[in-house]
Amino acid sequence: MNALSQPPPLKISEAKIVSSLRISVFTKPDFFTPNTAPPSRSDPLIYSRFTGGATVPERRRMSGAAMATSNVDATDDRIARIASTIRVIPDFPKPGILFQDITTLLLDPKAFKDTIDLFVERYKDKNINVIAGIEARGFIFGPPIALAIGAKFVPMRKPKKLPGEVISEEYSLEYGTDIMEMHVGAVQPGENAVIVDDLIATGGTLNAAISLLGRVGVTVVECACVIELKELKGREKLGDNPLFVLVSET
Amino acid sequence: MFAAENGLKGDPRLEAISDAIRVIPHFPKPGIMFQDITPLFLNHKVFKDTVDIFVERYRDMAISVVAGIEARGFMFAPCIALAIGAKFVPLRKRGKLPGKVISEAYELEYGKDCLEMHVGAVQQGEKAVVIDDLVATGGTISAAIKLLECVGAEVVECACVIGVPELIKAENRLNGKALYMLVEPNEVQGCC
Repeated sequence: MNALSQPPPLKISEAKIVSSLRISVFTKPDFFTPNTAPPSRSDPLIYSRFTGGATVPERRRMSGAAMATSNVDATDDRIARIASTIRVIPDFPKPGILFQDITTLLLDPKAFKDTIDLFVERYKDKNINVIAGIEARGFIFGPPIALAIGAKFVPMRKPKKLPGEVISEEYSLEYGTDIMEMHVGAVQPGENAVIVDDLIATGGTLNAAISLLGRVGVTVVECACVIELKELKGREKLGDNPLFVLVSET
Repeated sequence: MFAAENGLKGDPRLEAISDAIRVIPHFPKPGIMFQDITPLFLNHKVFKDTVDIFVERYRDMAISVVAGIEARGFMFAPCIALAIGAKFVPLRKRGKLPGKVISEAYELEYGKDCLEMHVGAVQQGEKAVVIDDLVATGGTISAAIKLLECVGAEVVECACVIGVPELIKAENRLNGKALYMLVEPNEVQGCC
């Protein structure tokens, strides 16, 4: 049997994260609880999904009920503070764009620490071996998360920045293409990765990172961003790949 | 000054950090022995030790600003800032920071480049440290010092993982500011 036709081992961990993911997307304060523990492997709904039984929306509803009893207050304050520190710069880098600037978040030590803590709480003890950070703002959030959860940090860079042997992925921009590179040997097949960036817009960059890691046999468990620009539908572009964000801007 | 001469003599963490840095010959161009710190981040203990050494040094110095130089400085500086409760201020290449910035040009081997910092990120009287992965001629870091001093901050020290003391001394661009370095550059093993 061709190895490629076997179901990828990642499915179980994807199902785990997807269910808690839906809860954790910040759309309304009372639906946010990153501390919800993902379902255990013995949970029959995971296996039903794996075998094509129960669907994710059912999971979502069930988890929503469970989550209503959890403590969201502490998390609420953290998210509200984080969101309040992000500043919007109009017409940058070009006219018509409202740029979400996270540098002001970094100037608030509590907000910055809370941001990292929210990701760490989600990914700690989940067997995440790799935090991949996308140049350059992903380099700000990725390493502290990696440090706290005991994972390695792998930078995903623009072309010709990484010395030595790299693998490259070309991806589309609005006009033209760009290239993302990762070091050969930085990651091993079978490792579990979370990709970190400050923001998801169209999802093109994250998709390139997912492809790069996938090509070397790494399981991308989730993409994690501080901000999501919902209008640009990046989440849809990621398809089956889960996305976790702290702040959702419309 | 090297960490080994400044209280960390014989500290096994330093040897492990040095061992984690790989040399890539002739990158980005012939003749340059590039000191690649990316393997350091693949070893959690070495990465943690690197950050810990800086945190141990700066945590009781009332530092309120940790400035990191794009892009490899971004991999260390935020971790240090978080641990000591300081703000992290990114110092970036031209045109990357949105909104109002101040700029400082500096010289490269051929030509010039420019480092920018946000207006309002740092207040007068704040104590700052500047972090980068490697300091050679000191051109970039001297631009960083100028940016911070321009807004009235006190640059207590600069710090880097790898320092090239001969070049730093020869170029003398740090304007009297102390530079705390963990290790020297590695040589290439064998012939290339």
